[in-house]
Amino acid sequence: MADPRTALDTPPAAPSSWKEYVFSAIVVVIITVAGLLLSESYYVSVGLIYLLAIVLLCLRVGRGPVLMAGILSAFVWEYVFIPPHFSFAINSLQDGLLFGIYFVVSLVAGQLTSQIRAQAQDERRREQHATALLHLTRALAEAKTLDDAVFAALRQADELFGAQTSLALTDETRKNLTSHFASSYSLEEKECATVEWVFRNQHTAGRFASNLSDSTSYYLPLVRENATIGVLGVKVPPDHTLTHAQQNLLEAFARQLALSVEREYLRAASEREKLLAESEKLHRALFDSVSHELRTPLAVINASTDSLAGANPKLSGQLVGEIRTAVRRLNRLVGNLLNQSRLESGTLKPRLDWCDAGDIVNAAVESTRDALTGHPLTVAVPEDIPPVRADFALTEQVLANLLLNAANHTPPATPVFLTAGIEPGGQRMFFTVADRGPGFSPAMRGRLFKKFIQDDDSIAAGLGLGLSIVRGFVVAQGGEVIAGENPGGGAMITVYLPHPPPKAATQA
Amino acid sequence: MTTSHPSRLLIVDDEVQIRRLLRVALEAENYEVHEAASGQLGLSEAAGVHPDGVVLDLGLPDLDGREVLRRLREWSQVPVLVLTVRDGEEDKIAALDAGADDYLTKPFSRRELLARLRAVLRRTQPSSEETIVRFSDVEIDFAARIVRRAGAEVKLTAKEYDLLRYLAQHRGRVVTHQQILRELWGANAEDSTHYLRVYMTHLRQKLEPDPRAPKFLQTESGVGYRLVDS
Repeated sequence: MADPRTALDTPPAAPSSWKEYVFSAIVVVIITVAGLLLSESYYVSVGLIYLLAIVLLCLRVGRGPVLMAGILSAFVWEYVFIPPHFSFAINSLQDGLLFGIYFVVSLVAGQLTSQIRAQAQDERRREQHATALLHLTRALAEAKTLDDAVFAALRQADELFGAQTSLALTDETRKNLTSHFASSYSLEEKECATVEWVFRNQHTAGRFASNLSDSTSYYLPLVRENATIGVLGVKVPPDHTLTHAQQNLLEAFARQLALSVEREYLRAASEREKLLAESEKLHRALFDSVSHELRTPLAVINASTDSLAGANPKLSGQLVGEIRTAVRRLNRLVGNLLNQSRLESGTLKPRLDWCDAGDIVNAAVESTRDALTGHPLTVAVPEDIPPVRADFALTEQVLANLLLNAANHTPPATPVFLTAGIEPGGQRMFFTVADRGPGFSPAMRGRLFKKFIQDDDSIAAGLGLGLSIVRGFVVAQGGEVIAGENPGGGAMITVYLPHPPPKAATQA
Repeated sequence: MTTSHPSRLLIVDDEVQIRRLLRVALEAENYEVHEAASGQLGLSEAAGVHPDGVVLDLGLPDLDGREVLRRLREWSQVPVLVLTVRDGEEDKIAALDAGADDYLTKPFSRRELLARLRAVLRRTQPSSEETIVRFSDVEIDFAARIVRRAGAEVKLTAKEYDLLRYLAQHRGRVVTHQQILRELWGANAEDSTHYLRVYMTHLRQKLEPDPRAPKFLQTESGVGYRLVDS
């Protein structure tokens, strides 16, 4: 006998519709009428025809009607056809055996065929089940984000179960449930309580379930490793029902979805972890380098002032020079840190005005004079260069940083070149700072303008903020910075700024 | 520069060390120094001692430096030199607009401090009604509207002369672009800095020993110009 639970419930243990019973009865009646037309001696054949009909019926109707048809036909056959006609009496042993065997065979045949049919149905259901899960898995795998995955899964569930679905998920703290936007129905207050119950108890509830069955929908928990990460709700129209098989399928669905959600949570968590580690690393690097950069000039000042007391005039002059250099270095460092934070806070608003390019160059050269000591500097600004549109202070800082960079990254006494001009075509103006140092290694070039980046072999180079600020300031003014090679050897950095026509001048 | 009677200066700064340092530097130059540690104290001190000049820090704990300036300017035209750690030009311009005579960005040198102070104090001294101003080998005769360089007359256009005269009248002190534009082109020309650049370039070419590295007609980053006469 087939276990009704593994038979995956032919429509609810097949309370076959009354139509099937009527149909089966009609079949028996037709055969009976047809049999009456035959000669009486054909009664064995009529019995076989009944048997055939029973077997065929098995393929069409459920077990109940088949059984009914089997019993009915056995008794009709006995009463109508087995001599004596129209009597339940049986004359010979042979007829008795015939009737008995017919009775048993029709029942067994009915049972067997209906079992085969149930198995076939079962098979079909399993296949549907597997296909549905396959589709779900594929949809989940294809989804790029968790939201995509949830959306795909819920739409598939809607279609498969002819229902509306909702999903409530926990946030990362696993404490609060929030309804996902892909849900096709929203949870009412009472439903929320059911969802909450499912979430707490990790057990199905609602309609079709043993708990809180007055709810309009069926709710399943999404469980991973003993923690509920969400609740799936299925709202079937009131006149429809969920079979046991469908409930099983839903559970499989929920498992898949839970897996997918958890994978996404884990991915997000590891991403966060990575980011945190990265920022911690950066923080440490910044801290180390800031404390080094700040302490060095402070140490110089400290040592110099100590030696200043009682020093002879020649020495004290030297010491004062050292202090002055250290102070400038500190001042520049603080300036760069402030500039970087201005850039990062997004509060930097360039004040574009017409500037004399020569003035900007002079100001930058003046502010870096001490650092450039020993490097012959060649400045070339065309005498007839028209006023350029720039933020004076930002551009001055850009050039100063480029000059400092050139001075810090080249051997002593190598020349530095600073040029300015208007590009052929007159659309852009440029500043170029070039040197005869080692230039940029290909590896350096890609990350040149990132902050806290330095050549590994240079320690005297400050915080590595210089070029990051250069680019920030230039981009803020609508320009661009390009790092290249100085023809004949060395590094060359060119700053381009837009060079608009002087509209303001025509108004004056 | 020696004056017959010592100028009285008021220092308004919340940092003791800065006040001490300024006192040492200024008393060595024979200034009479008064101190105030906050904006409120500074205002009452200014009313009490009637200083000839005020050195005012913009970053005060109680009142914003600009507010101190505004209140001071309600009743006094005393020259004010503003000290600021901010190197944003907007702050400098705002302070100048609020009535400061000049500014000094920390950290500053003693030489810069004394030069600025001398220049702002000159504003209220009677000798500022001079008719001839000299710098480098250049001589400006306001009465005759003539500019000479190494004794020879230099031809200037009317605007170039006006620009030079304005800078010379304020020599040693910063003048903002806006001040110059308002003075020379009127109230509506405040974004015509393009013109100003061109005139300044011409002026430098005519008067500076090396026009590409001007020593006297100096640019103040993003703020304005300053005629330096020493």
